[in-house]
Parts: sequence; C-alpha cells; structure tokens
Amino acid sequence: MAQALPGATHFLRRRARKMKNSVGTYLKAVLGCCCLLWSIAGHCQGKTATAQLTITMTVQSSIGLVFNNDALVGTSGFCPLTNPGTNNVGLDLGTASFTGGENTPCVLYSHLSATVYQVQSGFDVVVTKANSSSPNYRLAAEISTAPLANVIWLIAPGVGAGVALTNTGFTQLDASDTYGSSIQKNLQVQVKNTVAATTLQETITFLATAN
Amino acid sequence: MLSLNELGMRNRAKKMMIRQLALLVVLLCAPAVFAQTTAQGTINATLINKSGISLIFDTDTTGNGVSLGNNGSSNATLDFGNISAFGPLTVPNVSRPLVTAANYTVQTTFDIQVILGGITSPNYTLKANLAAAAATGLTYAVDAVTLTTAAQTIQTTGTYNQDVRHTLSLTVSTAAPGAGGPTLGAQSATLNFTATSN
Repeated sequence: MAQALPGATHFLRRRARKMKNSVGTYLKAVLGCCCLLWSIAGHCQGKTATAQLTITMTVQSSIGLVFNNDALVGTSGFCPLTNPGTNNVGLDLGTASFTGGENTPCVLYSHLSATVYQVQSGFDVVVTKANSSSPNYRLAAEISTAPLANVIWLIAPGVGAGVALTNTGFTQLDASDTYGSSIQKNLQVQVKNTVAATTLQETITFLATAN
Repeated sequence: MLSLNELGMRNRAKKMMIRQLALLVVLLCAPAVFAQTTAQGTINATLINKSGISLIFDTDTTGNGVSLGNNGSSNATLDFGNISAFGPLTVPNVSRPLVTAANYTVQTTFDIQVILGGITSPNYTLKANLAAAAATGLTYAVDAVTLTTAAQTIQTTGTYNQDVRHTLSLTVSTAAPGAGGPTLGAQSATLNFTATSN
C-alpha cells in the first residue's frame, strides 16, 4: 500500500500534465480557427465604390392649353374634335350651302340674313397652370390666313354673336378665365351667298396668357 | 668599403625592387581603370496590388441620354436644363413623359459602369441616396426607386465592366411656389451611388 501510493501520485501528475497540454492545444486550435475565419471574412467582405452625380435644372412656371370635346358633343352644335385633349386638334364642319343647308348633323346651321348663312360647332378650352401663382388668364385667337372675301371666321362664347378673327393679330376673347375650367367656345363661319363653291380652311391659334 | 661584387649585388637588388614596385603600381591601378567601364546597382521594388471596384458615370449614347459633365468620372453632372409642365424642354434627350394636374415628370437616362480589379466577384449591388433632403416639390427617382437620404437598392446583380443604363426621373409638383411647389429658378441635388461587390 505504501509502495502503491507514490506510483498513483506519479500517474496522476502525468495525467494532469497531459490534460494541461491537451487544453493548451485545444485553445490554440480555437484561436487559429478564429484567426482563419476573421481573415476569410475580411477577404470576402464586399468591396465598395462610391460616386456622385450632381443634378441641375431650372424650374420654370408654365401654363398649358388643350382643346376638349364639350359635354354636349354629338348633339347639334357640338361636333367631335379629332385628337381631343391636346393642343392641336381638328374640327370638320362638313359640307354646307346657302340653299341646301348642312349635311353634318352635329353642325348647327342657320341663316343670319337673306344673303348669309352660318355654321357653328362648340368645343372646350382648358388652360392649366403649373408652378405659378397667377390668378387667372386671358384668352385670344388668330386665324392663319386672310379669309376669302365675304367669309368671316368668329369665336363665340355661346350661341350668340362671336368675335371676328383676323390674321393680323390676336383678338382677345376673354379677359380673365379660370384655370382648370372648361371654357366653352364656338367656332362660327359666316358665308355670303356670293361666295363660290370652295373648301374653306383656317388654322386658328388660341393664345392663353397668365394674368 | 664595399667591394665591386657587393656593389653589383646591391645594384641588382635595387633594380629588382624598382621592377617589383612598378609591377605593384600596375596591379593596383588596373582594377581602378576597369572599374570605370562597368557599374552595378539594385532596386528593391515593391508593389502592393490592392483589390477593389470603382464606379463611373457614362453618357448613355445608345439610349439617347443627356450628355454628362465630367463624363467617364465618378463625379459627374447631369443638367436637365429648363423644365416646366408645359413649356419647351431645352436640353436634348430630356423627355416629359407625364403631366398631371398635380405634377409632371422629366426624365433622361445615364449609364453606370462598375469596374472590377483584384477580386473575384460575380456581380455587384448598386445603392443610391440623396446627399441632402430634396427641395420642396421635387422628387428624384432612379429606375423605379424614389430616392431619399437613406441608401436604397437600385440593382442587386449589376454586371461589371459594362455600361448599365439607368433612368433618372424628376417629378415636379405643379403647385405654386410657397404652396407646396418648388422654388422657381436654378435647383440642384447630389445623388450618391454605392456599388458593393457580391
């Protein structure tokens, strides 16, 4: 028993030394793995590049004008526009004569006197403002070429008498119209019975100016 | 008193010494003469080849984009020129695809090229943000992403080393200045782009 005790002590010391060594090895391995992972993570981390784009612009106020079909389109006096909703539309008034009247139902035909007949069709003008504090706008119109003799091109606010247009300058139609509202206008063409058969054509430019 | 024999021996020894000295001089001088015809040196050169990516802006020529200022750099400028809801647009390749009662949008395209070096990466992620909050009444968007001051992802798998087209849209409120609309006149904004390798 006395001889066995030193042997056991020796064994235990060797065992403890061995365990100490293995713990050290384990810690080294863990530390090594950490270093490796840190290194890999560093290497794999996404590379970045930055750049700047400077945007410049000059903001301006503006107003826009479009022609729309009137709510009464299709009824007498309101023919449909071609390309409505834009600022470049067409309006076909069909074929008319002093003696035969008008062949297009949507055109309102009338005799103004014993020698003059008139055709008329209505449409809407809408003027919109952007980035502007203008309270309202004025509206004017001009025809592109001098009309034939005894032919008058007019714009009327309704069924009543219109304002004759010229090709020498804009004729004011309204002084203060409301932005965004549909302003009904009626194109009237008055033709005397002495005018020879021909096609009457004009390009009418409308000009809205912010007040 | 030296004998003739001794004198002769001395003279011979003297001559021999002189010859030996002369030979020594020649031997000593020879390397010096040769040393003037060759030279030798060493340069210890080092180069640290770092990996990275870079981002540049290019004018989108195929998509008819606006001509960029500082084209081909990472610090470019893009000018929309005069913009308005209904008036003429003054800069070529600026379009106005949308006008509503509330706002209008002007648009153009530009290219981004991300260049790869020293790393292996299949593609990149592109993010963008406004350097400062947008001015009142103005909203910026790249492709379909409305920009804020926080970085937002524009593209997740961008292709390296080629121009990638992007659309820049500026939406402008039609409200009057002081009523929610933008201030009239010159305006600017800086867009920050960040590409990160995947």
